[in-house]
Amino acid sequence: MTSIKEQGKQRAAVLQGTLDMLILRTLLYGPAHGHQIGKHIQQTTNDFLQMQHGSLYPALHRLEERGWVTAKWETAPDRNREFKYYRLTEKGKKQLLVEESQWKQMMEAVARVMWPASSKES
Amino acid sequence: MRWWQIGKRNADLERELRSDLELEEEEQRERGLPPEEAASAARRAFGNFSLIREQTHEAWGLAPVERFWQDILHALRAARRTPLLSAVAVLALAFGIGLNAGVFTLLNSLFLEPPTLKDQHSFVQVYPRYTGWFMRQDQYSSFTTEDYDAIRSRSKALEDVAAWQVSSPTLEEGKPNATVLATCNYFHVFGIDRPLLGRLFAADDCNRGSSAQVAVLSESTWKTELGGDSRILGETIHLNGSPFHVIGIVSSDAANFLPGGIFVPYTTEPLLDQARNSFNSPNTPWLAVAGRLNPEFSRVDAQSELSTIMTQQDRAYVKRQVSTFNRKTALVLTNGSFIQNPAIGTRVVALMALILGPLTLILLLACCNVTMLFLSRTVTRRGEIAVRLALGAGRGQLARMLLAESLLIAAFGGAISILLVYRVPLLIMNTIDAHQARNVLMIHPDWRVFSYLAVLVVLATVISSLMPIRAAWKLDLLTALKGREGSATVRSRTTSGLIVVQIALGFALVCAAVMFGRAPSLITGMNPGFDIRHTIGVPVKVDTSAANHANALSFYSTLESRLLAIPGVQSFTYASLGLFGLVPPTEIRLPGQTVGQGKPISVNNVSGSFFSTLGIPLIKGRAFSSSDPTLPNADSVAIVSQAFAREFWPTGDPLGNSVITPDNRRLTVVGIAADTQSETFTVTDGPRLYTLRDPSALDGRLYVNFSGDPKPVENAIRDTVKALDHTQIIAPETTWESLEADAEQMRSLAGIVLTMASIGLLMAVIGVYGVLSFGVGLRTREFGIKMVLGADRATIFRSVTSKAFRNTAFGLLCGVALTGPAMWTLDRFFASALPLRGFSVFIFAVSALLLAAVSMAAAWLPALRATRVDPMQALRNE
Repeated sequence: MTSIKEQGKQRAAVLQGTLDMLILRTLLYGPAHGHQIGKHIQQTTNDFLQMQHGSLYPALHRLEERGWVTAKWETAPDRNREFKYYRLTEKGKKQLLVEESQWKQMMEAVARVMWPASSKES
Repeated sequence: MRWWQIGKRNADLERELRSDLELEEEEQRERGLPPEEAASAARRAFGNFSLIREQTHEAWGLAPVERFWQDILHALRAARRTPLLSAVAVLALAFGIGLNAGVFTLLNSLFLEPPTLKDQHSFVQVYPRYTGWFMRQDQYSSFTTEDYDAIRSRSKALEDVAAWQVSSPTLEEGKPNATVLATCNYFHVFGIDRPLLGRLFAADDCNRGSSAQVAVLSESTWKTELGGDSRILGETIHLNGSPFHVIGIVSSDAANFLPGGIFVPYTTEPLLDQARNSFNSPNTPWLAVAGRLNPEFSRVDAQSELSTIMTQQDRAYVKRQVSTFNRKTALVLTNGSFIQNPAIGTRVVALMALILGPLTLILLLACCNVTMLFLSRTVTRRGEIAVRLALGAGRGQLARMLLAESLLIAAFGGAISILLVYRVPLLIMNTIDAHQARNVLMIHPDWRVFSYLAVLVVLATVISSLMPIRAAWKLDLLTALKGREGSATVRSRTTSGLIVVQIALGFALVCAAVMFGRAPSLITGMNPGFDIRHTIGVPVKVDTSAANHANALSFYSTLESRLLAIPGVQSFTYASLGLFGLVPPTEIRLPGQTVGQGKPISVNNVSGSFFSTLGIPLIKGRAFSSSDPTLPNADSVAIVSQAFAREFWPTGDPLGNSVITPDNRRLTVVGIAADTQSETFTVTDGPRLYTLRDPSALDGRLYVNFSGDPKPVENAIRDTVKALDHTQIIAPETTWESLEADAEQMRSLAGIVLTMASIGLLMAVIGVYGVLSFGVGLRTREFGIKMVLGADRATIFRSVTSKAFRNTAFGLLCGVALTGPAMWTLDRFFASALPLRGFSVFIFAVSALLLAAVSMAAAWLPALRATRVDPMQALRNE
């Protein structure tokens, strides 16, 4: 019981930074429900990033808790069923910019270490 | 996210997960999987449902709350499984907590709260401390009329300043009644703006010199003393014989407490006490002062402003040479509560500790009992606990679970105890003084009471769960799982510890009870240095103005001869100083000293028969004789007190020496009288000089000495005075009789303490019994084996009782260690205030004997049961 919980914590830690950003970015296209978000990330990366529901839902709820997204039950346009749609808030848009720039800095920093020659040229 | 929305939130999450799962299933079906496979494929793709749920909960940050809630639910189920045990535990704690909190409510109302109910923040009470002036220096006292006037007229920080004095004049022909001589803004300052009936004082009721003789009654005095008839308005009552018109009734609930039952304008003071006129004397402090802060000023501002005013007053006082002493005044500003009163604050704290201490012991005893109950439950649940541990529950989790169980019990107990919070204070007040209960108190538990209650609940929770947690913690998993629970699971040290603690606590409680039980006899047995049983004051009011001089003289001489004719009356005397009151000092010099170099001394101008009448022994020299000169300006003789002799002639013999009075009479010391305690109870008076009174003078108070039963003498004295002058109002009473009344109150207080101690003792006995039977129960197999091996029943019996005996002895030692310091503190703080003599072998011996007896009685039954163990039965379980 304890060990499972700890595993979950580790995974969350690894993914947390990027997963939040990916979800926010996905929601930039418009409101979506959990399944759509997961599927979208999976398909866009050609199944490279396998979405774990175990981290997707906690992440969504965490974002909602922080006020970056709002959630509402709405009827899907193509079916006669209600889904919980997540929507990006203004605060969430700002957060996305912040995370994006942080990610870029991170990428650049990693790149400088990994490929020093190419980064010097540029 | 709020924790109470958790249910709604959960349902929402459930719905979300379910709808997405269905979507996943549909997609799988669209890919061509058969329906039943699609469902399981979707589940696989989705992952562990409950894990997702749990992780989402973590994201909400509510997991601890949820775990706590689960623990509480579990505790509820556990409590429901053992209803009797839980009920007993709840009741024990409810009682322990309720008694504590109830008494605290009373103390809170009496001592911690400001007197007013309206805008308590702006209420300020002012205490002066005059130094270089009064006999008992460095004590906080009251203000003089002049100083009050100065504060009222000059202060800007205080927008309204009231003053009052509590006095006890005789109402009609009855007993003295607590009466407040108050300024006419008194009620306003205390936040009482509307009377229950009639009207309150108007400003011109308090005109100096032409005071209105009006009175406002408290609701309780009106109801208990005057029948509660609304036609009382406009009627006349008599205080010390002076008529007062009743103008209004003030509700008992109007203020937190009212210091008296009758309110009259302070300007009527000369009417109530003709012997002294505090009004015009710049030397008599008599007014307590309180005011309301101007909203623009803080209490600190007021403090500095009033200090400046008092410094000016001091300067003016010295400049006018009112007295030869240089006065200096320090001030303290408080919120008016008793605990902030600088004169008695530390004593109030000590008193609260003294009262709440034993009550805390009762709570601790209750906790011990609950601990025992929980411990036995933990032991019977060893199997369950072992399984939980084996399945991977953390010990911390287990401790949390047990803690939740005690919290549940303590919380229930606390909730029930709220009933006691409302009942106990009135119960106590009624027991001590039913009249007072109606008079001064409006009990309303406030935030202080409920925080105290919460602290007690937490305390009870932690204390009562410590032992069970420890037992669970130390559980030997292997033996417990095998079902071979050896007696080692609860160490004998644990049970011994419990017995020791309970005996120690019980001992402390019994000590308190014995101490209080002795208090009444200590009060009546008090010896103030003069005869309090056979001396009686005869307060008469005589107009001694020059015009009436002849009449007054004949009144007194007739009275004297008639008093002496009363059977039993042996002698009478006059004295200028009354008993039990503050005494303004006179400067007494040695020959050769100039004015200002002398010392402040209280001078008592007495008749020749003073010492024999009051029964004050002369240590050395002689008493006054009829041949000693008494003329106002002539040199004469004097008698000094022991304190006086020590002050003026620390080494030499005072007899034959002389002292000089302020009017330059030279008095030769002819005798030394024993010190008395006539100013304050149990405090030996300062230096005192006795001078011989001119027999033809008209001042002084009259005292009579008699033999035999006081009642007929008192009646005869009253009748005699009445026969001489029917307007006189007197209710003579010996000091001892008024002490008896105090002792009566003390007796009811002792009764309460005794009841509480008995309850505590009962709890201790039950506790000891419970622990021992628990221990015996655990050792059944051991006893069986011992018996099989040849031990006889007497050996078994002895082994149980000797353990109990050792623990009791050790517990008593701990009790002495616990009680000793407390009693020492008591002695330090109360030596002068309460007749409780602490540290005494008598108290300890009585308490120890009592406890030893009851704990042996409690050990009897379990020991007997141990001898009845059936060896076959015990061994069959092997």
